[in-house]
Amino acid sequence: MTTRAEFLGSIKREMAKTRGLFDARPVPRPPHAGEAFEAVKRQMAERWPQALERFREEFERIAGVFHRVGSMDEVPGVIRRIAEERQARSVLSWHPAPLGLDLRESLGREGFAVTVAPHGAPDVAARQLHRDEAARAEIGVTGVNWALAETGTLVLVSGQGRPRSTSLLPATHVAVFDRSCLLESLEQVGIVLEALHADPARSMSGAVINFITGPSRTADIELTLTRGVHGPKEVHAIFVEGR
Amino acid sequence: MKASIMITCLGDLLFPEVGVAMVRLLRRLGVSVDFPRGQTCCGMPLFNSGYHHDAALVAARTAKLFEHADHVVVPSGSCAWMVKTEYPGLLKDDPALKARAEALAKKTYELSQFLVKVLGVTSIDSAFKGRVTYHDSCHLLRGLGESRSPRTLLRSVKGCELVELPGSDECCGFGGSFSVRLPEVSTAILDKKLANVESTGADCLVACDAGCLMQMGGGLSRRGSRVRAVHLAQVLEPEGGA
Amino acid sequence: MSDAQLRTPFPERAHSALNDAHLQEALTIATTKFIGLRKEAFAGYPDGEALRDRARAIKESTLQGLDTHLERLADNIERLGGHVHWAATGDEARDIILRLCRDRGVRMAVKSKSMATEEIELNEALEAAGVKPVETDLGEYIIQLAHEKPSHIIAPAIHKTKGQVADLFSKELGGRFEADPEVLTAVARKELRQKFLEADMGITGANFAVAETGTIVLVTNEGNGRMVTSLPRIHVAVMGMEKVIPTMTDLMVFLAILARSATGQKLSSYTTLVRGPRQPGEVEGPEELHLILMDNGRTRQIAGTLREALYCLRCGACLNVCPVYRQIGGHAYGYTYPGPIGILLTAMLKGTGSVKDLAHASSLCGACKDVCPVRIDIPRMLIELREHIDRERVAPWAERMVFGLARRAMASPSLFRLGAKIGRVAQVPFVRDGRLRGLPLLFGKWTRTRDLPPVAARSFSERWKELERP
Repeated sequence: MTTRAEFLGSIKREMAKTRGLFDARPVPRPPHAGEAFEAVKRQMAERWPQALERFREEFERIAGVFHRVGSMDEVPGVIRRIAEERQARSVLSWHPAPLGLDLRESLGREGFAVTVAPHGAPDVAARQLHRDEAARAEIGVTGVNWALAETGTLVLVSGQGRPRSTSLLPATHVAVFDRSCLLESLEQVGIVLEALHADPARSMSGAVINFITGPSRTADIELTLTRGVHGPKEVHAIFVEGR
Repeated sequence: MKASIMITCLGDLLFPEVGVAMVRLLRRLGVSVDFPRGQTCCGMPLFNSGYHHDAALVAARTAKLFEHADHVVVPSGSCAWMVKTEYPGLLKDDPALKARAEALAKKTYELSQFLVKVLGVTSIDSAFKGRVTYHDSCHLLRGLGESRSPRTLLRSVKGCELVELPGSDECCGFGGSFSVRLPEVSTAILDKKLANVESTGADCLVACDAGCLMQMGGGLSRRGSRVRAVHLAQVLEPEGGA
Repeated sequence: MSDAQLRTPFPERAHSALNDAHLQEALTIATTKFIGLRKEAFAGYPDGEALRDRARAIKESTLQGLDTHLERLADNIERLGGHVHWAATGDEARDIILRLCRDRGVRMAVKSKSMATEEIELNEALEAAGVKPVETDLGEYIIQLAHEKPSHIIAPAIHKTKGQVADLFSKELGGRFEADPEVLTAVARKELRQKFLEADMGITGANFAVAETGTIVLVTNEGNGRMVTSLPRIHVAVMGMEKVIPTMTDLMVFLAILARSATGQKLSSYTTLVRGPRQPGEVEGPEELHLILMDNGRTRQIAGTLREALYCLRCGACLNVCPVYRQIGGHAYGYTYPGPIGILLTAMLKGTGSVKDLAHASSLCGACKDVCPVRIDIPRMLIELREHIDRERVAPWAERMVFGLARRAMASPSLFRLGAKIGRVAQVPFVRDGRLRGLPLLFGKWTRTRDLPPVAARSFSERWKELERP
C-alpha cells in the first residue's frame, strides 16, 4: 500500500532530474478574486441585455427552449403550459426559499402533483422520500446561479433545498433565472468560481456545481445525435424580467 | 542569384527528369544553378526509423557538401523539412557541426517556396495544358507550413486548370518505410486518396514530393488510370522533362 | 484485448480490420463526421489557437510543480471529508476499490465512462470479486453487453453499426428492437435508470482535478456522470495523477477547448464539479468520496521521452485524423488506448517493448499534432520510441541488413552509384510498360499493390555534365 509520502517522493525524484531543462512559464491568474468578481458584477449590470440576447441564441442553438416573462407571478403559467403540452402531471421543484416561488400554491391547486425539495438537515426517511419523488417527477423546476451567454449554459450550485437530481432525473428541466445571473464568457465564470471558492463555507452549501449545456445527449450509435439518454430530454429557461 | 540543387536520392535515381525540369526552369528565371557532387540522401529514412546516430553522420556530410551554397533548392518537401528542422538537432552535440547545419537550414528551400518566397515569382509561362489537382504532402504542408505557393504557381499557368482535391491534406500513405512495413494499410490509405483524385476529373495529379509521387503514381498506374502523377516542376517546365 | 489476440502479430490484426466491411464503413462515417465537427468548431473560434497555446503552457507548468499541486489537491479533498488513495500501480488501484467494496458491502457499482478504469481492467476484477459493474455510458454499455473493449477514446462503440447494436440489445436484453438510434437509446435509458437508483457505488474517472479547491471535474454528455456521482452512497473516482491542474481559472481554459476538440461542441452537455462528499443539509449525494490517484507508469515519464504525452486530455481528436486509425480502427492496436496517442500511452504503461510494431504504425504525417488541443508532438515521440526500440531490442536481421546497406550507401557516393548500377541490371526482368512489377523480397511488399518507377537509365548526377552548360 503506497503512502502519500512514497507516491510524492517518487515524483519528486523524477522532477529533480529535469531541473533547468524546461522553460518555466507560470500562467497568469486573477490576483484578487474578490476585486475581479466585483468588476464582473459591475460590467454585467450594464451588459445584461446583450448577454441575454446572446444567451438566447446559444441556448436555442443547443435545443434549449427559451421563455420570457414580466414577473415571477407568470412563471407557474409557463410551467403549466409546458406540462400540459407533454401531458405531465408531476412536478418536483427546489425548495421555495432558493427558488423564490412556491409551486404548491399555484400548480399544486390546479391538479398537478407538486413536491418540493426539503430544507434543513434531512434524515434517512426524508432522503428516500425525495429520491422516490425525483424518480417519479416528469418536470423538474430549479433556479439558476449563472447563465453563461457564450455557450448557452446554466450553472447550478447544489445545496440546501437545491438538490442535484431536480435538473437530472425528470424528463423535462425548467430553469428560472433573471438578469443578475447573466455572464458573458467562460473567463468570467472562472473569476466567479474563484471568488465563490475563496470562501466556500459562506457561499456554498452543496458539494456539486453543474454546468448544464442543453439536454442530455449522445451520438454513441453511428454518431447519430439522440437526446434524453439519462438526463432530461428537454431544457427550458424562463427569464424573469422584473426581478 | 545562385542556387545549388539538392537532388535527393529518389530524385537522382528515379525522377531525374524532375531535376532537369527544375534546372531549366530556374535558369529561365535568371538563376545560375550548380550541383555539388557526391550527393546521396538527406538521411530521413534513417532518422524516421530511429537510427539517429547514422542519420547524424549523413547530416554532417550533407552540411559539408553544401557549405558554400548561397541557396539550396530541393524538389521535395520532406527532404527540405529534414534539412531545415531536423539537421541542427541531430548535430547538437558538436557546436561546429551544429552551426553548419543551422546555416544550411536557413538557406534551404523546397522548390515552390524558393520560387514564390525568395525569387518573388508568382506567375510562370508554361506550355502545359490540362486539368490538374494538387496533393498537399504532409511534410511540406505541416512541417514547412506551405500550401499556397504551389497553388499560386499552378493557377498562374494559362493552360492549366486547377481543381481542388477533396482531402488534399490527407496523407497518401507513403510514410517512407511505412509503405513496406505495413503495405496493406499503406495501400488502403492510398486507395482512399486515389478515389478522391479520380473524382476531380483531373488529367494530372501534382505534388512537390518524390515519395508521394512514387506512392500515388504507383497506385494510379497499377489501376490503369489515365491520371498522370507529376511533379510541380514538370508542369512549370514541361519540355524540361525529356 | 486478450493475450491470445495480442499474440496475433499486429499486421494480421490490421489485415482483419481492413477486411471487415462493417468496420470500414463505420470508421469512415464516424471519423469524417468528427473531423468536420472539430474543424467547424475551431473555424468559428478565433480565440482557439491562443487558448491551445495557453493550455499547453498550463500543462507544462503543472508538471513542473506536480508534487505541490497533488499535495494541495489531497489536502483540500481530505479537508472536505473525502478520502485520497495513492496507487503506484494499476493493481494497487484495483485492490483499493475491491477492498472498499468488501468493507462497505457493495454488490453493484454503476460506472460512468473512464479510460483509467479500462486501463486497469477494473470490470473483470469486480466481477471476479462478486461485485456487478454496470457501464452506463451508452457506448460503454453497448460494448459491455458485447464483451468487447472500447475502440475509440470517447466513442467506445463507434465500430458498431446501428443494426449490430439492435441485434445485440435484442439478444442480451430479450425483445426485438428496431435499428433506430432513438429507440435503442430509449431502451438503454430505461434499463439503466433502475441501476442508478439501486447501485451501492458510483465509479468514475476524472477529466481534471483542481488542486486549489479540491474539485474533481467530469465532462460528459449523457447525464450518467451526474447520476453516478449523486445517487449511490459511495463515489470512487480513479484519476491518472497527471490530470491535476492548479486553479479554476486554468480549468476554464481547458473547458474552452476540450469539447470543441472532441466533438465540436462548445461545451459538453454536462460539466460536473464535485467538491467532496455531500454536505450537511444536502438531501442527495454520496456519504463517501474516494479519489484514487494513480501512477501506473506515468511518473517515470516526467524525466522520460514521453513527458509531453502527460499533457493528453483524452479528447480523441488525434484518432479521428490519423490515416492509420481511420483504416484499422481501435481494436487492431490491441491495447486500452488506440490511435496516435495510444501508441505513446501504451509505451508509457507497458514499456517500450510493447510497441515494437505499433511505433511503426504511423506514416508520420503529423495530422495528430495539428489537431491536438495541447499541441503534443506525437510524431517526434514516435521517432524517439523507434530509436529506443532500435537501441533496446534487436530489430529483425533483414531490417538491420537493409538499414546497414542504406547507411553505407548514404555515406559513400561510389557505393550509392554502384547500388544504382546493380539496380539497373537486376530490374530488367521486372520492367513492363516502363514500370516495375512483381519484384521479389522486400520490394515485393510494394509491388504487390503498386507499380514502381524503374531506376532511370541515367541518373540526374550522370546527366549533369550536359546540363552544366546551359
